Amino acid sequence: MRFLRLYKTFVKQHLKNLMEYRVDFLTGAMSFMINQVTNILFISIIFGQIPELAGWSYYEIIFIYGFSLLPKGLDHFTSDNLWKVAYFIVRKGDFDKYLTRPINPLVHVIIENFQFDALGEFVTGVVLFTYSSIKLGIYFTPLKILLLIIAVVFGMFIFTSIKIACAAIAFWVKRSGSILQVLYMSSDFARYPATIYSKGVRFVISYVIPFAFTSYYPASYFLRGGNPLYCIGGTVVISGVFMLVSILIWNRGIIAYESAGS
Amino acid sequence: MIEVKDLKKEFKKTIKSPGLKGSIQSLFHKKTEIVKAVDGLTFNVGEGEILGFIGPNGAGKSTAIKMLTGILTPTSGTLNINGQIPYKNRKKYVKEIGVVFGQRTQLWWDLPLTETYSVLKEIYMIDDNKFKERMEFLNDVLELEDFIKSPVRTLSLGQRMRADIAASMLHSPKVLFLDEPTIGLDVVVKDNIRKAINQINKQDKTTIILTTHDLNDIEMLCERIVMIDKGKMVYDGSLSKMKDTYGKMREVDISLNDKGEADKFDLEAAFKFEEDDYDIELKGNKMILKFNSAKASIPDMLDYILKTAGVRDIAVKDADIEEIIRRIYRSEVNLDEQH
Repeated sequence: MRFLRLYKTFVKQHLKNLMEYRVDFLTGAMSFMINQVTNILFISIIFGQIPELAGWSYYEIIFIYGFSLLPKGLDHFTSDNLWKVAYFIVRKGDFDKYLTRPINPLVHVIIENFQFDALGEFVTGVVLFTYSSIKLGIYFTPLKILLLIIAVVFGMFIFTSIKIACAAIAFWVKRSGSILQVLYMSSDFARYPATIYSKGVRFVISYVIPFAFTSYYPASYFLRGGNPLYCIGGTVVISGVFMLVSILIWNRGIIAYESAGS
Repeated sequence: MIEVKDLKKEFKKTIKSPGLKGSIQSLFHKKTEIVKAVDGLTFNVGEGEILGFIGPNGAGKSTAIKMLTGILTPTSGTLNINGQIPYKNRKKYVKEIGVVFGQRTQLWWDLPLTETYSVLKEIYMIDDNKFKERMEFLNDVLELEDFIKSPVRTLSLGQRMRADIAASMLHSPKVLFLDEPTIGLDVVVKDNIRKAINQINKQDKTTIILTTHDLNDIEMLCERIVMIDKGKMVYDGSLSKMKDTYGKMREVDISLNDKGEADKFDLEAAFKFEEDDYDIELKGNKMILKFNSAKASIPDMLDYILKTAGVRDIAVKDADIEEIIRRIYRSEVNLDEQH
């Protein structure tokens, strides 16, 4: 209850901020959209040359691509402040503030900032997902809609947990932005079917940095009726484990936090 | 209220040789050394007391405050504040303390001040009536009225500091930590802030620990001071006693007409000074003279200087904290005798 009230308060403040920096918001959201649209154009050009890619049709690829933007966009929207933890907040000692407030510092960091720019990413995802679903004639039963929501939400947690763990490294090394950047960028692999990659890459994005579980695996359940226990259950299990481990790392990190001279 | 016993904090520091080569070397052969930032502090603070925490830059003041506020975990030693262990029951503990770091703000940069307070109201779960009452009181003491509707980024440093103090007092904490609350402020604003701190202390019986480099802060606010240097406590007692004992050393900076003029001074004969009562430093024709003002008044000393030697310029300096600390450090033995 209290958490929701706090959340509401912060969202309200942010919307006010948004009004103040309208131009910045619009440019930000546009840039994310343009980024995605150029990617889609690129895919279209490729499919102008070939009928299918490793057995996947154009619309299937678009479906997976659109699906991948949903958890990523949500994560981007809700927990963008973790980037700041990785880059500056710990290094400059500004993390002090969170430790002197009577709420969980991780919760505090996350709900303090919303990245409305991410809506550009999310909306693009929704459009691509809906468009390709219609073209492919995928019918969503209530059960499938429920599974879709579960897959997207837990997929988001996979992104968030990786960000938490990477940001927490800053507690020891002061600045972990680049580590986070590298891992986060590797999620781009997951926008395409995992079967187009070599065995090594497929293994890494499935089980090491399991971004494939935020897009390809759940999407393949809706596309080709893959085993839901593996495709969506896997997402849930992996995100649970990752979240647990990353929170452990984070909490250990807080003990190691050294602040900065003032 | 506050019990600190043998508190220690050690940091591991990587030693790097200078230059790019050194940086690369340190990637492979990491040499570390242990820095003892706080090295065995023991003191108690009673309820409603204002304690001045002083020491030169890098003495370990901030590190100590950060352990007291639960931000840092001590390497060893015990802490008990208000019946709680800061770093262990952190969430519960911080509800009853307020913290202001003069060097950084805890306000939200883009929000108007009132909005910051309403967010804090939610964070600390202050009920509406209490909040209203509290805002009135803080408005009264800190005069927030004029800028409470402005975004924080537009506030002047003095306004921001007042706003920050109000933010830390909103939830009526039992203990207030102020880390350099007057840093960078002009004389008038400093004075207002001191008055406000005094008033808060009187009205709420708030226990206050403050660090500062400004002796006037101490003079106007604290009856007791704890002084630390290199992580160790060097003094714990009243301000008046410290001033009587150590604040007597005054400094006079003299530009001599000629280097040789310095030889003409014989303070031991003129004022019956003993070895500990004065100190002379010579740099070219500049002379820095430190002396015990209890044994020779400033006018007498100036008179003597002008009569004795040819002088181009002369300046009298106040004894600053760093100087007093240096004195205390040198006469640690005497300190033990006084206790």
